[in-house]
Amino acid sequence: VQNDCRNTAESVLAILPNKIASQSMTPSVLQRVASGDSIAVRECIEQYGALVWSLARRLSRTAADAEDATQEIFLQIWRNASRFDESKGSEKVFIAMIARRRLIDRLRKSANEPPMDSSDEVLDSVEWSDPGTAAQTSIEAAEALRVLAELRPEERQVLELGLLRGLTQSEIAERLGMPLGTVKSCMRRGLIRVRECMKGDAERISGRPDV
Amino acid sequence: MSETGPGNAPDEAMIDLLIKQVTEGLSPEEQRALDVLDSAAASEYSRDFERAAAAIALAGAASHPESLPADVKARLERQAEEFLAGRRSGDLAAVRDAAAPTPLARVKTGVVGWYAAAACLLLALFAWLRGPPAVAPVAQVPPASTVPAVSPPAIPATPALPPTPAEQRAALLSQPGSITVQLAATKDPAAVGVTGDVVWNPMTQQGFLRFVGLKSNDPRLQQYQTWIVDGGRDKRYPLDGGVFDVPAGSSEVIVPIHAELPVRVLKAFAITIEQPGGVVVSALHHVVATGATS
Repeated sequence: VQNDCRNTAESVLAILPNKIASQSMTPSVLQRVASGDSIAVRECIEQYGALVWSLARRLSRTAADAEDATQEIFLQIWRNASRFDESKGSEKVFIAMIARRRLIDRLRKSANEPPMDSSDEVLDSVEWSDPGTAAQTSIEAAEALRVLAELRPEERQVLELGLLRGLTQSEIAERLGMPLGTVKSCMRRGLIRVRECMKGDAERISGRPDV
Repeated sequence: MSETGPGNAPDEAMIDLLIKQVTEGLSPEEQRALDVLDSAAASEYSRDFERAAAAIALAGAASHPESLPADVKARLERQAEEFLAGRRSGDLAAVRDAAAPTPLARVKTGVVGWYAAAACLLLALFAWLRGPPAVAPVAQVPPASTVPAVSPPAIPATPALPPTPAEQRAALLSQPGSITVQLAATKDPAAVGVTGDVVWNPMTQQGFLRFVGLKSNDPRLQQYQTWIVDGGRDKRYPLDGGVFDVPAGSSEVIVPIHAELPVRVLKAFAITIEQPGGVVVSALHHVVATGATS
C-alpha cells in the first residue's frame, strides 16, 4: 500500500508544473470571484459545494449546524477570494482551510453542548481515500496520503480522529486510552511530516522557499 | 512578542499550541500565551500546519464525497444572489471582511491602517462616481451596472464627501419599515453609563448602532462585536453583525451593522467585547449592551 501511495503521488507530482502552468493561463473560479465575475460566484457553489458540505458534516454536531456552517463558509470564501494565491497551494486546499477555520471555531464554542450526533452515517464512514481518488482531489491530498501511509498506525489514527472526526486531543486520549502526551506527540509528528513534505514539494516546484 | 526571531524555529511547546490552534482551537488563555510567544517563524509554522491539516482533511473527504443536498444548495444560491446584490450596491461588508485579521495571524496590526485607508478610498471613489449630491438615502445607491451611464465631473477638484454615519443613519430612519430598538447597558464594568439604540430596516437589511458613553478600546487587544438574534435561525448561534472600535475621546458613536447572513426574524441585538477580529460564536463573557424588539 505504501508503495502504491508513493507511486501515485510521484506520478502526480511529476505533472504538477504543467498543471500549474495551465492554471496560470486560465483564471480560477476564486480569481474570477475576486475580479467581480458574478457567474463565478454561482460556479463556486457547483464546484465546491460537495467539498464544503462533506467537511461541514464531519465537523458539525448536527445536520442543521452543518447547513448554517456551509452558508457561513461560502460567504467567507466569496469575500476572501482575492486572498487566494495559486503559487501557495491549490484552490481546494484554500477552500478547505477557510472551511476548517469556521468549523473549528463553531465546534470550540459549542464544546459544552451535547456530543455530536453519533447516529449520523457520515461519522461512521470516515476513512482515508484511496490514492487515486486523493490525487484527483488535489496534489496536496495525494501528498498527504503518501505521508500518512508512512506513519505508524497509532499516529495515523490520532490524525484521523482529530482532523476527520473533529475530536479534541483530550477526547482522542480518552477514546484510545492513550496518555494525552502521547496523543500530542502523534499529532505533532504526523503534521510535521506532512508539513515538511508539502513545503519540500512547493520549494522544488517553485525553485524558492514557500514563504 | 517573544524573543524568538523570524528565523528561529518555535520550540516544542509552541508547536503544540500551534497544532492545537489548527486542529481544535485554543482557549482564551492558550491564545494569550501564543500571542505572547508570537513570532514570524510561528506564523509561518501556523500557516503550514493549517495547510497540512487541510490537505489531510481533503484526503479524508475524498473517500466518501457527499453531494450537496438540494435544499442547502438552494439556500446557497439565494445567498449568492444577496451577496452579488450587496456587491453591486457598494456594500462595504467585503471591505470590512478583508480588513479583519486572519484568525491564525491576528497580531499583525500594522496593516489595519492600510485597510482603513483602502476603505476611505473606496468611499471617496464611490462618492465621486455618484456625483455631487450632498446627502442621499443609502438605499438609493445605484447598482454598479448603471454606474457607467453616470458622467463623472470633468475635473473633480473636490470630490463629494461620502455621507457620514450619522447622515446614513438619519436616511435609514426615514425609510419605510425602519424600526428603532433601544439598547440597555448590562452590569459589565465596561458598560457603566452606556446608552444607545439601533436603527434597523428588515427590507434593506441595513442598520446602525448608536452609543453614548461606550468606552474606547485598543483594537490590538480587543474589539466590540455586534450580534443579532434571529428568530428564524438556531438561537444558539446569533448572527455576527461585525466588529467595531470606539476611538478615544468619542462622545457619540454611530456604527453600521454588517450582518453575515440575512436576518429573517429580528429578535434582539447584543454587543460584546471580543478578541481582535471578533469570534464566530461568542462565549458572552463581556456583554455590554442588549436590546430586544418589542
